[in-house]
Amino acid sequence: MNLKKIVVIGAGTMGSGIAQWFAQQMCFVELVDNSEDQLKKALAEIHKSWDKLVEKEKLTNSQVSQMKKLLEIKSLNLVSKDTDLVVEAIIENLEIKKTLFQDLDHYFAPHTIISSNTSSFPITLMSEAVSAERKKRFVGLHFFNPATIMKLVEVIKGEKTDAKLCEDLYDWFDSKDKKPALSKDSPGFIVNRVARNFYGEPLRIVDVEDEAKMREVDQILKDVGGFKMGPFELMDLIGIDVNYSVTCSVWEAYNRESRFAPHELQKKMVEENRFGRKSKRGFYKYD
Amino acid sequence: MVENRNVGFTNMTNVQFENILINFGFGTKEEKKQILIDNSHKDVFMDLTCFDPQEFYSTFPQLKGSFAALFCDHDKRIEVHMKDKNEAFISKLQELGFKTFETSILSCGFVFPRTIVQIINEAHFALEENVASKKDIDRAMKFGVNYPKGPFEWSQGRERYVLVLLNELFEKTNDKRYVASKLI
Repeated sequence: MNLKKIVVIGAGTMGSGIAQWFAQQMCFVELVDNSEDQLKKALAEIHKSWDKLVEKEKLTNSQVSQMKKLLEIKSLNLVSKDTDLVVEAIIENLEIKKTLFQDLDHYFAPHTIISSNTSSFPITLMSEAVSAERKKRFVGLHFFNPATIMKLVEVIKGEKTDAKLCEDLYDWFDSKDKKPALSKDSPGFIVNRVARNFYGEPLRIVDVEDEAKMREVDQILKDVGGFKMGPFELMDLIGIDVNYSVTCSVWEAYNRESRFAPHELQKKMVEENRFGRKSKRGFYKYD
Repeated sequence: MVENRNVGFTNMTNVQFENILINFGFGTKEEKKQILIDNSHKDVFMDLTCFDPQEFYSTFPQLKGSFAALFCDHDKRIEVHMKDKNEAFISKLQELGFKTFETSILSCGFVFPRTIVQIINEAHFALEENVASKKDIDRAMKFGVNYPKGPFEWSQGRERYVLVLLNELFEKTNDKRYVASKLI
């Protein structure tokens, strides 16, 4: 497999990071969004990031100049129909995504691989929107934020996805600057499932709002466990609302099995608009 | 003086100095209690990684502190809980190469072991359901969320401790979240 032409749909944080990473692999990338302003903003941010990497001598002027030529912003009806891979990174709304995939299936050439960066929806369910033939070339590619730095890409095989295609994608990412992991299409895939207990168990250890205890738990998991951040400071950074929503979604998907259940404190904090750093109040205060 | 006891899957080691006995390693709850009964006139400090220190403190006044060393790595960082402050005990641990984190939290399985066994358990459930291979699960957790080690790397050779702690947590809470994967 040799991926040379990529279309990334959605120029938010994830989409622009994914587009930047592919351009850094010297792929031709077309970045698409409904909003022209968002596209221009994303392109300016990516250029700024590359210029900084030149200043830090991580990239050369000539490399960046080539990357800038390789990354274009476009509206969807103007992108190359014979692209090798499409990565969808739009809002997490199943109906909107399915409508988009239906359009993409008609628009792109038969060989084009259509992928989704979703963290919430089953790949098989989304692939219902495309033809039987395309289902074989419909896959989950779950990048992690920031996509240019985090090495993991979860390659998710839907029920009808061609197994060889997943292996080829795995090998392609492996040959680049990524660490792929092949996952079955099950709720939370690997990371969002296994990581739930990093938040859930410390919440149960502390159980009530006690800032001193939370600080102690954070410190123990960093000092003794070797984690870069403690669970409470990390939840504050991710957003209590975002973390709670992922927890609920995995919990529901596993028929409310108790080991995935959210903690009462998470629900209470969301109801009180305590979302973490972004609202200046979470487990800790950020005044 | 160092005394080794290797019975079945236990790997306990007792270190004695002055009037202090430090019991390292894994043993069953009964074996741990027997050590305390046998040393009722000493100040005892004990590895209780897989158990609830509170249960031991309430029965054995000779138990002056506990620690969780069964999941510690090469850098030998451990959680220590002191019922009675004892500098000689801490100095001895440091002399033995441990880096101690004194905690005030009394929890069954302490903080790090209790959290890590739950992560390890979920990774085993994912493996049981063929979500991904061991290698890919370890890789995902290290490179997707920056864990220092993958869950299977953490549990290698420590499956018995994982199982005993999960069973203990289940017994204490009667919460199904602590039921162990059959692969452990």
